[in-house]
Formats: sequence, C-alpha cells, structure tokens
Amino acid sequence: VRGPPPAGSIKPRPAKRTAFRKFYERGDFPIAVQHDGVANKIAWKVEIENLDYHYFLPLFFDGLCETEFPYEFFARQGVHDLLEHGGNKILPVVPQLIIPIKNALNLRNRQVLCTTLKVIQHLVVSAEMVGEALVPYYRQILPILSIFKHMDVFHFLDIMTQENEFSIE
Amino acid sequence: MSKVSEVVTKADIKPKSMHRAKIWSDDVENLYRFQQAGYRDEVEYKQVKQVDEVECWPETGFVKKLQRRDNTFYYYNRQRECEDKDVPKVKVYVY
Repeated sequence: VRGPPPAGSIKPRPAKRTAFRKFYERGDFPIAVQHDGVANKIAWKVEIENLDYHYFLPLFFDGLCETEFPYEFFARQGVHDLLEHGGNKILPVVPQLIIPIKNALNLRNRQVLCTTLKVIQHLVVSAEMVGEALVPYYRQILPILSIFKHMDVFHFLDIMTQENEFSIE
Repeated sequence: MSKVSEVVTKADIKPKSMHRAKIWSDDVENLYRFQQAGYRDEVEYKQVKQVDEVECWPETGFVKKLQRRDNTFYYYNRQRECEDKDVPKVKVYVY
C-alpha cells in the first residue's frame, strides 16, 4: 500500500503582486532612488518623524514578500529605518502588521522567512510593549514556523547566518 | 576686517591636510557617516546646511540623521555601521 502523496507543506508558494510594488512603481513612497549613493541606504525625501506610520509601515511590511531587486531592498531597508526611528508611533500600528507578516511567512520562501524573522526581532525591540502587543497574534504567526521544525536545523541556520547576519544566542 | 570678507572666511573653512583612518573609533564612525552623506565631516556639514547641531543618538553619540545636498535624508543606526573593511576608506581632515 503506497503512502499518501507529499502535502508540500514546506514547498515555497508563488508570491502575488504586492501593494508595496504597486505603490513603489507609482512613486508614492517618499524614497529617492540614488545612483550615486551608498549601496545599503535609502534616501528619504521626507523626514521619517513626519511620516504617517499607519499608512506607510504596513505597506513596507507588505513588501517583505518581495524577492526581486529593488523591491526587496527598499522594503527591507525601509522597514528597518521605520522601526529604528519610529519610537512610540510603532505600537499603535502593530495590529495592522500581522497580515503582512503572515503573508510573508506563508510563502515558505527561505529567504523571505529569514528576512521576516529578522524584522520580527527588530519589531519587538523597536519600542516598549511591542512584544506584549504581539501575544494575541501568536496563533496567526507561529503555526507556519512549526512546519519547519523538522527541517535540517543546520541548513536553515546556515541560510539565516550567511546573508542576514542573524545571530543565534 | 570687512563684514563681507568675514562672512567669506567663516563660510569657507578648508582643511589643510587629509589622511586615511587606520583603526576604528567613535570619531572615525561619525566621519564615515558624514562621508556617506556626501560631506567631508561635521565642519562642512554645518557650513553647508547652516545648522549649529547635528542630530545624534544619545546612547552612543553617533550621528543619527543627516540631510544630503539634494535635501533627502539619510538615517543611521544606533550602533556601529562602519565595518573594519570600510575604515581605510574614511578620510580624516586636519584643519
């Protein structure tokens, strides 16, 4: 008797066109494309302190699903800058970040998974009470990670440490 | 000294010499940040942007935000960004 066919639970899913990509191509983001600038920095047209986080932060999180340059770079670096300099503007927006985080994790793409986990790490230390604010949403975020618990841990850690400077403590 | 020449002198402070950094330090880190944004150092930034203070991280004293010449903004991390391999690229100006 043959066993059941593989369910494909860890097989990467194709990414849909994100709202981040649509807004980026429309020029709606206050970021400037630098041809003479440094490789790992975004030039912001507007001071981050003056941005509407309720509008922009979920949009940038939506871009975490992207894997192509320059969308992946701007989404990742944009999220980093917004979290680093958001202060108390981040906590009220946490509920709006859950769906983009879930969408990114559900892609099962290794690179997106690594980036998203690093973003979650940054999110919980970006401001006070953010970690606690995530607790009600654990049941939406954590199940996808349990799918990977039987993966070769060292291979997974290899991917995470090589390109993303993910530190394992 | 006339007022015109006084203004020109204050606005036109140029360094006498330059050498490359050899080891990382807090000063080298900040120079790295200014040079990423297109300035020689804090002196030139204050001259060009006509500001008295530069926004810095209170915990580390590193530069936090700079406005580039095209008026866009660069934001920097609280912790060190200048890696050891970037240190020799940092120019240290002497006045």
